[in-house]
This record gives sequence, structure tokens and C-alpha cells, in this order.
Amino acid sequence: MTDLSITQLPAAPLNALEIWSNPLDVLGRFEKAFGRSLPPSGSSLQLPDRLLIRYEPTVWLVEGEIGGLAEILDADGSLTAIGGGLVRVRLSGPGWRSLLMEGGVFDAESRDFIAGCSAATVIDHVNVRLLVESEDACLSYVPLSYAHDMIQFWTVAAQSLE
Amino acid sequence: MSGPTRAGEPGSIRFTFDGKPLVARPGDTLAAALLANGIGLVARSFKYHRPRGIMAAGVEEPNALVTVGTGGRSEPNTRATDLFVYDGMVARSQNRWPNLSFDVGSLLGLAAKALPAGFYYKTFFGSAKRWMFYEWFIRRAAGLGDAPTAADPDRFAQRAGFCDVLVVGVGPAGLAAALAAAEAGDRVMLVEQDRLLAPSLVRDLQDLDPAWAEATAAQISALGGRILLRTTAIGYWDDNLITLSQRLAEPGEQPPSGTAQRLWHVRAKRVVLATGALERPLAFAHNDRPGVMLSQAVRTYVRRFGVVPGQRVIIATNNDDAYLTAAAMRDAGAEIVAILDTRPAPAGATSGFPVYNHTMPLATKGARHHLREVSARVDGKIVRWQADLLAMSGGFTPVVHLHMQAGGAALDWDEASQSFLPGGARQNVTSIGSAASADPAGPTPPPENPGKAFIDFQNDVSLGDVDLAWAEGYRSVEHLKRYTTLGMATDQGKTSNMAALGRLAEKQDVAIPEAGLTTFRPPYTPVTMGLLAGRSERDAGAHLRRLALYDVHQAKAPIWQPLGYWKRPRAYPKGEESLAQAALREALSVRTAVGMTDVSTLAKFEVSGTDAAALLELICATTVAKLAVGRGRYTFMLREDGLVFDDGTVWRLADDRYLLTSSTGGADRMAAHISYVRQVLYPHFRVSAVNVQEHYAGIAVAGPKAKNVLTALIGEEVPRHMSTVPATIAGTPVLVLAASYSGERAFEIYVAASEAEPVWRACEAEVTAHGGCLYGMEAMEFLRIEKGHLVVGGEIDGRLTPHELALGGMLNKAGGYIGAAGLTRPALTQPARKQLVGLEALEGTIPEGAMLVSTQGQPAEGHVTASGLRLLDGGSIALGQLNGGFARLGEEMLATSPTRGQSARVRVVAPHFYDTSGERYRD
Repeated sequence: MTDLSITQLPAAPLNALEIWSNPLDVLGRFEKAFGRSLPPSGSSLQLPDRLLIRYEPTVWLVEGEIGGLAEILDADGSLTAIGGGLVRVRLSGPGWRSLLMEGGVFDAESRDFIAGCSAATVIDHVNVRLLVESEDACLSYVPLSYAHDMIQFWTVAAQSLE
Repeated sequence: MSGPTRAGEPGSIRFTFDGKPLVARPGDTLAAALLANGIGLVARSFKYHRPRGIMAAGVEEPNALVTVGTGGRSEPNTRATDLFVYDGMVARSQNRWPNLSFDVGSLLGLAAKALPAGFYYKTFFGSAKRWMFYEWFIRRAAGLGDAPTAADPDRFAQRAGFCDVLVVGVGPAGLAAALAAAEAGDRVMLVEQDRLLAPSLVRDLQDLDPAWAEATAAQISALGGRILLRTTAIGYWDDNLITLSQRLAEPGEQPPSGTAQRLWHVRAKRVVLATGALERPLAFAHNDRPGVMLSQAVRTYVRRFGVVPGQRVIIATNNDDAYLTAAAMRDAGAEIVAILDTRPAPAGATSGFPVYNHTMPLATKGARHHLREVSARVDGKIVRWQADLLAMSGGFTPVVHLHMQAGGAALDWDEASQSFLPGGARQNVTSIGSAASADPAGPTPPPENPGKAFIDFQNDVSLGDVDLAWAEGYRSVEHLKRYTTLGMATDQGKTSNMAALGRLAEKQDVAIPEAGLTTFRPPYTPVTMGLLAGRSERDAGAHLRRLALYDVHQAKAPIWQPLGYWKRPRAYPKGEESLAQAALREALSVRTAVGMTDVSTLAKFEVSGTDAAALLELICATTVAKLAVGRGRYTFMLREDGLVFDDGTVWRLADDRYLLTSSTGGADRMAAHISYVRQVLYPHFRVSAVNVQEHYAGIAVAGPKAKNVLTALIGEEVPRHMSTVPATIAGTPVLVLAASYSGERAFEIYVAASEAEPVWRACEAEVTAHGGCLYGMEAMEFLRIEKGHLVVGGEIDGRLTPHELALGGMLNKAGGYIGAAGLTRPALTQPARKQLVGLEALEGTIPEGAMLVSTQGQPAEGHVTASGLRLLDGGSIALGQLNGGFARLGEEMLATSPTRGQSARVRVVAPHFYDTSGERYRD
């Protein structure tokens, strides 16, 4: 068995930040407030009190603090709490890339999928979001109703990795 | 003559064949181990039960099929040449009775002339009933191994793979190509169906040796390349998607990791096919006898496994390669009795072997199921040689299966080798090595007795059968294949197709390429159903979604019910209660006191933004914008054709923020619908519609004491019916919606699912304190039927308009909603269309799903959508759809279910059986 641990993390405040109009203005306001741009597709932005991941074309997942975001959005978007329905599962150890290929369709073994990268994909018929935390760990966001089965799937699959 | 032998250490791996204990050496295939143990008879043929031995040394083996393993791991039709022996392996021959040596089925061979190709088309015809009779005998007389009846205990994995270059075949050419790609910085994958790298380097003494293969593989691995042995590329699909079958354990073996096989889906930028070539047999009378083998296979057994398949050897060939076999056998101590070469003269040196040119075997004879004599016509006279091994080589056919599956534009005919070579490719794929070119081969003269000259050994198809098919008018190669069964079964014609094509071309008087080709379909080699089905831990391949409160429910030992993708409590029986008893008790508790249930699975969407109301007034067919903050209403949704496809509630949480709920089963469909309206129809809307189905867990509290329970939980601010307030329960923020699906005063409490458990426990404590209990789906169904509430998938089945569901009065009179235009179609206002009705039984119980007919035998005029009972008063009631139902109240009909053998006389009534004025919703 590959050296790999699968850990369910405690629930965290998660919000969907959606921009529906004037995206450049919103980006400008965000950059002014935080000194960084909102992350592009396939990427993430770690700030001291929050993590932002590009979630959908017009939506970012915000993990942690949401203070100041409503003001930045103003009338061009909104925040909606979604954290109750997502379970964070950390895959850590050198085998996480190989594990994500099991039942998957996404190239988690790509040399370009490095720390800070994110992805939305399907694993064993379940839609999951991935965030590479480091070369040794990847965080996955799994729908709560599938989390038990998903963790079980990964636990069993880890036993027969190359 | 002694038949197959092996000198030296017999080996330490114990296995059985047909119950006989045997030993093998590490690395032996079953075929090698059987030959090493002196066993030449391995199988019986499919149709005539002819004795068969081992012909090949690879996946093309048509004869030596065995069943291996026991119980759920039993795997029939496994090629003994593609199965590595492991300790404790149990292998059995198949398609024989009572045993392999004496098989009663072989009597069919005596009647072979009466059972030619296609005989069953001419013999077994008539009514379907007669065919069922014939089939019983046919299935027992002919066939392969038996499929296991026990469940497979092992896991089957599926995995994605990506690479720049995928090399199929780890021979010298494949290794060299892979190394070049890896050195160029490409991500490289190599796959090889064998357990050994470059097995041809072991078989043939060349400039390169096995050590070179090991060193090259190590270099490739060091450069990041992935090498998978025991892995077969089984299919080539669009966009360079290649499926691989990886064996993690041998057939029948208990896998160390619990996973027996893995199906790879590999996307490659470029594919290199180094799949090698297959040797062709020669067609002559009784060429299927044990002891008649392919020439390269003989060499493989000698050099790789140390097995000498015979002591007196005849070589029959049309090419130079077979002379290497002669040399290998001579080196192993065997006697080369004769080399029969169809060519005028061999191209190379004959090394002093007795060579007969222009000569081809005429026939073989055997004794005790093994080769004893080979005859040939030499200079017009028949010459007979005593021999226990005939090694034959009819030339080589490059393995072009994957090339053709990849959409290969065509195959190029190579006259010199008498084989097809890969032509143009439509995908980024190249063939190299012996997959791209074949050594020259001479002619293969037609046999004198085509009836016993087998070309498809697995299906007992002889050249005589091809001749018969031609004589009976089958001209197309596709028709020939289906009439004779040539090229079918587990080997898919790997050794037979070229011979058949040659014969067909001869009959058509055309060149072989003009005779046509059959389709090269995946899989290249047989795969188990488990590999395709994937892991076995769940039913039907899909996860069942678990409630956030699953563990809390499970502690109550409910009866679970799969509902859509979800697993939900159906009832919570106490003691020895049946489902019906428990559900009735729970429903009565709601009617008389209070009950609580989990409604977390409802679809939920949070809609916010300046245009939130405008979006919802498109999606909902009722008014929305006029709702005051803190108020909600029942609503329903139409498709563009004007028919109702879902319903739910909509709540105004703030000036520009709403919560929309809809059915559990329609959740995904509703999400797609909202997305379509938002993203496609009205992309300019300033609105966000977020699916919060998973975010919120939902707890429904219903019953005459529900308000008391809520008061105890949140204080005096209990919302009135169809109102909502934020509150706190067990220190957790919640949203309380006053809505009812039961006919009683009721509340739905929404809480972030990750924080739901303390809220549930607080609610349960209060419900219990007020004399109530939990209720499940079955009780909910009783309650809603009695009240006349609709359910999506039952009454709302996508075929009725709002008017027909008695919802017309709630339509937004201003129009503008999705489906408003569709509703104006005249066809939807026909009075004879189905309409929602209630039904009450005049006697008995109304069967759910029953047809509604005027009298027995008359056409159905409607159907029962849901059947329940009057909870307090007794009596069977139901909801249904009936043609022109609104005008038929009071009419008596028959609800009949022929499939269940149940009927009940019913009266058509209004679809409300309980509190028709809604008094019980009011405080």
C-alpha cells in the first residue's frame, strides 16, 4: 500500500461568491482591498484569513472570512453560504496523485498540477473540487451526501495503488 | 518418442489440472507447466469435441482453454498460454464428459458430415417453443466453460492515465521507441501483456539480449516512464483513448491487495504500436491434433520454459523462421525428422536438416490423443514419418487490430509476406517493428482433404466449411463469418482469418485484399465482466447519497428506502412492528399529536440579486414578486410546452434574496432548468442562483402539537402558516419555514447540514416530550395522499397542465413564466384529457398503479397514481389521473391491476380527503 492518509477535516465556513455584472470593476475593487487579483480558472489565492478558489466561470469558493467581500461585490454579485454541504477531505502522502486517478478522468499526475492549482472533476461518479496544497497534499471538496462513500472508495483504492 | 518433456528440476509450485496434483517452475504458464508434466491433451473442441492440445504460446491460442479458480473466482475459457501458474492453482478442462480423455461428446465428431457449418440453420427451425427444446440440447452438446454462479469476491478498479507517448508492446522495437521518447522529455507509458520484458529476446538468440531489455526498461523508469506488465491494450477509441486491461492477479488467484484487475482509460498524445505479429498455422488434414504446434511457440517453450514439446520433430513451413525452430529443437536434443518447405528452396541455409521442398503435410495420425505420424506427398508419392511433434509456420500476420480500431484508413496488402500491413492512420498512431512489416512467406498449397483441414480451431471450422458456405451462396466475408462462425469466440480469428480470406479470394477469383475484411472490434483479448463493471461494493454502479443525519437515523434502526439517488428512512418500527404497522402508527401520531421527519433531500436554491424575483417569476408559474419579506407560497414549474414538471415552495428571505424548494427526485432536473433559464435565456440578469440542496439539512415537524414544539424550541416567535423566521435551536442558527405537506400545522427547520445533529436532537426531545415520534417516507405518503398533496413522479408526471392538476387558479395571471405560451395550445384544453381525481374504495383496497376502467375488459381511462387510506376513519382512498375526470365525480369505476391480480370498485371523488378547508393550518 502506498504511504497515503485520507483525513476528513472539520467543517469550515464556505461561501459561493458570484459576480454577475461589471466583473472588471469588481476585480479592481478586490485588488485594491487585498492587493491581489481574484484567481483565474484552475487556480487559487491564499490570503491570511481566507482562501479563494475559482469554482465556476463566474463563481469563486471562499473558505474562511468573508468580511469586506459584500462591499467589494456591491450590486454586482452576491455571497451565498454553501459550507454545510461540502466536506473537506485531505489526501496526504506521496500517493495522492495516483489515488486521484482511480475512478477519475482528470490528470492529477500532470507536472503542471502544482501547489495552488485547483480543478473541478468527477471521481467515481462524484463531482469533487481539488486544491493542491503542496507536493505532498491535496484538499478535496466532496458533496456531503457522497463523502462517506468517497472516503471509503479512496481508503479501499489506496490499498492497491502501484 | 516420449511427447513433451522437461529435464532438470521439476519446480516447486503446486497446482492441479483436472484434480491431478502437478508441479511447475516459477514463471511457467499453465501451458508450459502441462507440457513439462508430459500432458499434451488439454481441451476438447467447441463443436465436435475433438481432442486438442497446445498450439501457441501467447494470447492467440485457440485450443487450450481451461477453467481456472474456484467459487466466485472461477474463470472459464482462460487460455492456458496466457495464465501464469501460482501455488494452489486449480485448473480444469472444459466441454467434456465424463473426462477429458474419454468424452462422450466426441461422438458428435462421428457425425461431423451431418453437422457442417450452418447445420443448425437448416435443422432447428419452426416455432419458438420448438427452438427452446432444441436449445437445451445444443447448449449441453456444444460450448465453452461454465460461467461462475457465485459472486466474485474481488475488487475491480478503473483508473485514468495520461501520457505523451503510449507504447503498446514491450519488445525490442517498443523498448527502443519508448526510450527515445523518454529521453526527449515525453511522459511515456509502456504496456505489455506478458509478464516478461521483450520475451522474443529469450526465444531468439539475437544481438540484443534480455539484459539489454532490463537495462532499457530501467532507463525508461528512471526518466519517469511507467511500464505496466500483464497489461493488454484491449481497445482503441476516438481521440487517442486507449483502454488497458491490467491483471493484478492471475485468473482465479486471490489478489494480494484485494483488487484483481484494473481498467485503464489512457489518453495519449501519440501511440506507438509495437504489437508484433502472429504466426499462421497451415491447413492440412487433422492439423488440430495435440502435438501439432506453431513453430515459434515450440521455440518459446524450449528457450523460455525449458520444455521440449517433442523428440521426433517435423517442421512444416513456408518461410525461413521455422528453421530457427529446427535449430532450437536440435540444440535441445530432439531429432529433426524432416523439414517440409512449400517453397522451391529455402532462402537461407538449411543447416544440414533433411529438407523437402515443394512439400506440405498431407495429414497426421495419432494414438492416445497425440501425434504419431505425419504424411506428405513427396515427388508424387506419399511418405510417412513417425513423429511426436509437428511445428508449423504458415507465415506471419502483423497485429493490426489496434491500428484498425483507431480508424485505420486501410490495410496495405504485402504480397511477399502474404499479410496485411498497417496503412494510413486517422489518429496519431504509428506501427513499428514486426507490427509494421512481416518476413517473406512462400505459398500455402491447398490441402487435399479440406474437410479435415481446420483453419478456425476454436470453432471447428475447416476449409471444407468455407467451401460449403460458398457453394450455398455466401459471397460476402461478413456472411461467411456469420454462417460458419469463423473468427468468433474468444480468439476472434487471430490465427484463422487469413486462411479463410485466402480461400474466399480463391473462390471469388480475386486477390486477397479484394475479398474484404471483417471488423476488428475491441476487446483484443477477452476481458471479464467485472473489469467493465468496476468495483463491486455497490449496486448498479452509482453511489446512494447519504443524509447528513444518516448516523442519527441508523441508530434508530429504520427501514431504509432508496429514493432517487438517496437512501431515506421509510419507517421506524418498534419491537415487532411491520412496515405497515409502523407507518400507520407514525402517521396517526402526526394526525393526533406531532411527528418529525428528515426532509433534507428536497431541492433547494438560494436566489439573490436585483433580478431574483424576475428570474423566479420565469421559473415559477405562480406570482413571486408580490411576496412580502418573511412570507412564502406554494408554487409549481412548467416546461416550455406548458406541462407541469415540478412543484415546491418559494420564500422571500430578504428584499433581494429568496429560497426556492422543489422535489427531491427532480432536483438535478430543476438545477439544469434554472441554469438554462439563467445562463442561456437571460444571461444579462443580475442574479445568482445557488444550489443549496446539500448545504441545508431539513427537519419537518408536523401535527396539532407542532406549534407547541416550536414554541418550546424557539420561543413565541413561531411563524404563521407560509411565513418564515430566522431562529436559534440548540445554539445553532436555523431558518424556520411554516409549511405543511401533511395536512397539519407544520414547520420545516433548515440548518447548515454540518451542524444539523444538535438541532435534530433538540427537536426530537421536544417532539417526544409532546407525545410524538419520528415518521418516515411511508407515513408521509399516507398523510399527503389523504390531504391531496401532489408528488412529482406520481400525480405530476410531466403530462398534465396546471388546470388538469387543479392548480390553474394559482397561475400568475400576468403570464410571462416559462410555459405560458405552451399552455395556450388548443390541444391542452381538450376536456377529455387526463385530470387529477380522488378515488375512494367501495370495497377492498385500491391497488397502486391500477388501471381505471368502466368495467372489466374495457380500455383503460386512467390510472391510480398513489393509494392510501383514511387515517382516522378507515377506508381505502387514492389519487389518480382520469380522462375528463373533473366531470366524472360520483362515477363508479373499476381499479384493476392485472399484473397483481387485484381489483377494487371505486367512486370518483375530489382529490381531497382531509380538512378540505385548511382549518388545521391555522392557529
